[in-house]
Amino acid sequence: MPTYKLTCFNVRGRAELIRLLFAAGEIPYEDVRIEWDKWPELKPISDTPMGQIPTLEVDGQVICQSMAIARFVAGKAGLLGKTNMDQARADMLLDGGMDVGKLFTEMVMEKDASKKAEKKKEFGEKHLPPFLALYEGFAGDNGHFVGDSLTWSDIGFFNMMDFITAEYPGALDGYCKLNKVIDNVKSNPGVAKWLKERPVTNH
Amino acid sequence: MAPKYKLTYFNARGRAELTRLMFVAAGVEYEDVRLEREEWRPLKETSPMGQLPMLEVDGQVMCQSGAIFRYAAKETGLSGSAGWEEAQVDMFVCGIEDLQTKLWEVRFERDEAKKEEKKTGLATFVPNWLANYEKLCGPDGHLVGAKLTYADLAFFNGMHDILKERADTLEKFPKLAKVVESVNENKAVAAYIAERPETFI
Repeated sequence: MPTYKLTCFNVRGRAELIRLLFAAGEIPYEDVRIEWDKWPELKPISDTPMGQIPTLEVDGQVICQSMAIARFVAGKAGLLGKTNMDQARADMLLDGGMDVGKLFTEMVMEKDASKKAEKKKEFGEKHLPPFLALYEGFAGDNGHFVGDSLTWSDIGFFNMMDFITAEYPGALDGYCKLNKVIDNVKSNPGVAKWLKERPVTNH
Repeated sequence: MAPKYKLTYFNARGRAELTRLMFVAAGVEYEDVRLEREEWRPLKETSPMGQLPMLEVDGQVMCQSGAIFRYAAKETGLSGSAGWEEAQVDMFVCGIEDLQTKLWEVRFERDEAKKEEKKTGLATFVPNWLANYEKLCGPDGHLVGAKLTYADLAFFNGMHDILKERADTLEKFPKLAKVVESVNENKAVAAYIAERPETFI
């Protein structure tokens, strides 16, 4: 049984999808969290291929790049999709979600209060509704984006909406199939356990 | 019966070139559709996410360049051995995408002052990035493992514009130079490069 060690900041951020995938796959791993202010002194002595975290160490070997790590863990958890085409579809939906997620993150990280308010309005009115309408179309009646079982694209969508609904609480109202996706993810036993136990962080 | 692949993009390297290079390197037949902007407009509404590139496989259509090239990598056998090697290849390509994004940010910046600022940033970023990749690169002319993967093609592709500007960029990075050499040694890729349209991006 390989040993997995995930190292990231003490936030959900770019690591949470990975943690959710470990949880859904019921794969034990070490969840190492580094505080922001400790990183400058730790960085030069940390085993990071590209000077960044998150990193994943598996039996002594290390990779970085959060999405490469996520794809690897999704593979181990059997959540990539069954065929090459299914995997491509899941991958496509995740990447599409990340395009929107990027805009959301820019809004959240905006330091100027009035610019942030403007970005928040713009995201909520211009970017979020068409994205949700599009993805409601992609989702199956069974509450899965790909095929008839959970894949990492369901989990990725859940994770992203977890962040987004914190700022836009009613965003998913009326989207039957998307709500089913969310329910399917939340009721996965490993995910349910993780959601109850995970540290509460601002980001 | 081999699947029918149809790749649709603008007449540019941009976000489609890595996929084209994979099909070419692996000798897999595909239709390389290049659209002018006016041809794209009517198609945009019926596309999955209103964006290019798109890949059609036996009638099914997908988009998102990363999903497309990762799919193509599996179909062409260029993704590396399943499991850890595949993850390492993935990691390298993600890092090359980071570089590509920075390069494009500069190329597309219209404000002259911001462009100069970004160019200055690149002048530090690129050598550090290359030095890091040189450290991580395998010794045999491949970023990972002992044979061609799409990481080598992505690196070759990512370096194209940089090398065009400064042919000696990889002088201090012999392992990376070897990667570019191995890609050039693929006869199909060399023939494709010689014939492909010259484009801004």
